[in-house]
Amino acid sequence: MRTFLAVAVLSGGVAHATMGPALRIADVAPDIPLIVVVMLAMRRGPEFGCGAGFLAGLLQDAATGGLLGVQALTKSVIGFGVGALGGRLRVSQPLVQVPGLVVLSIVEGVVRFALLQLFHFPASFGELMTYVVLPQAIYNGFLGAALVLALAWAESIRERAS
Amino acid sequence: MRIRALALLGIVAGVCLLLLTLQMRGRAAGASDALAIFTTPVQTVVSRINRTAFGLWSTYQDWKNVRTENRRLRDEAQRLRVESLRVSEVDEENRRLRRLLQLKEALPLETISGEIIGREWGGWVRSLTVNRGRSSRVVRLTAVIGPDGLIGRIVDVRGGSSVVQVLTDPASTVGAHVVRTRTPGIIEGEPRGTIRFKYMARDGAGMQVGDMVVTSGLGGLFPRGIPIGRVRAIDDRGSALFHYAQIAPAVDFARIDEVLLLTGDAARDVAAHFPGAS
Repeated sequence: MRTFLAVAVLSGGVAHATMGPALRIADVAPDIPLIVVVMLAMRRGPEFGCGAGFLAGLLQDAATGGLLGVQALTKSVIGFGVGALGGRLRVSQPLVQVPGLVVLSIVEGVVRFALLQLFHFPASFGELMTYVVLPQAIYNGFLGAALVLALAWAESIRERAS
Repeated sequence: MRIRALALLGIVAGVCLLLLTLQMRGRAAGASDALAIFTTPVQTVVSRINRTAFGLWSTYQDWKNVRTENRRLRDEAQRLRVESLRVSEVDEENRRLRRLLQLKEALPLETISGEIIGREWGGWVRSLTVNRGRSSRVVRLTAVIGPDGLIGRIVDVRGGSSVVQVLTDPASTVGAHVVRTRTPGIIEGEPRGTIRFKYMARDGAGMQVGDMVVTSGLGGLFPRGIPIGRVRAIDDRGSALFHYAQIAPAVDFARIDEVLLLTGDAARDVAAHFPGAS
């Protein structure tokens, strides 16, 4: 389980580092680790989501040279929340997945902004939301839904084969 | 289970907030260094994967661009080749028409120019269809010539076109003579698409390969002196009354596109207007 966690989180980081620039559209890149954390949390529960979010966020913090712990905290909270609520939500439809991921991305952005405000982060909330958080949230929503569908398709093929 | 999860969240949040607080107080260098022990190798690996992935991606992009460029250049080359062929064709047509025009202006005869619009090249009949007919006041047996020499005669006149019996038609006969020796005879078409010169043995003395054969003007159908061809071989039949000479036609009948139709009085000697015919 720990190996799977490490592989999943690292693969999210690797995907973010490798595919992020390639997936950039109009200067907006998706937050792949967030998508991975959400997917893991929904399948594995709040503890897994919390741990995966912490590791993924910490790696992102360390990799980006920002304040250590900001993304670790926000992603672990998101992972915990999604893991706790995941069982009660019907999230197999893209119509739910896309807005769900958009909302989660916005929540993560707002929480991150609030946290950074404690440390006198200079950017204005409006600009940050308009140019960074919202476009990335929309992108996350569609990419995440595509990944969920791809995973479901791969699983159905595996089941049919076995 | 729930308590354990909440405890984990609390611990994680606590660690994060501790990290943030330490950083703000400038005491997190140790934490950063400790984390760097784990993150640096990961980043190194990630960065290598990143570079490799991007290398592959950019190689793919380059290949795609080269392929696109290659396709574009191939299309361009094809277009230019077609354009070049068109220009060559127009150039060639200009050259032919200029020669025809020069001949038309030089000849002391009434002529009209025509364009070949059809060819019958079977062994039974060898004919051309020219886009001049009754509407252009063309009549049957009108002589048809080109800048290189005699082509044939009109055998069928229609409203807007006429059929030219070519010299190589098996039914074609034209009165002719050899320029150098003045040997008279008849040019006949052959089924295999060649022409021969039939002459009386006693008149053919001294005829040689390469001699020019022109129209004799006898009969009033063709003007005198229009080139027909050159002697290619002489078929000496011993004591027979008639001998034959194979003639290489002056005109390449398969490649004629424009002709002149001699519509006026044909009783003239036009040899001076064809090089080598006099």
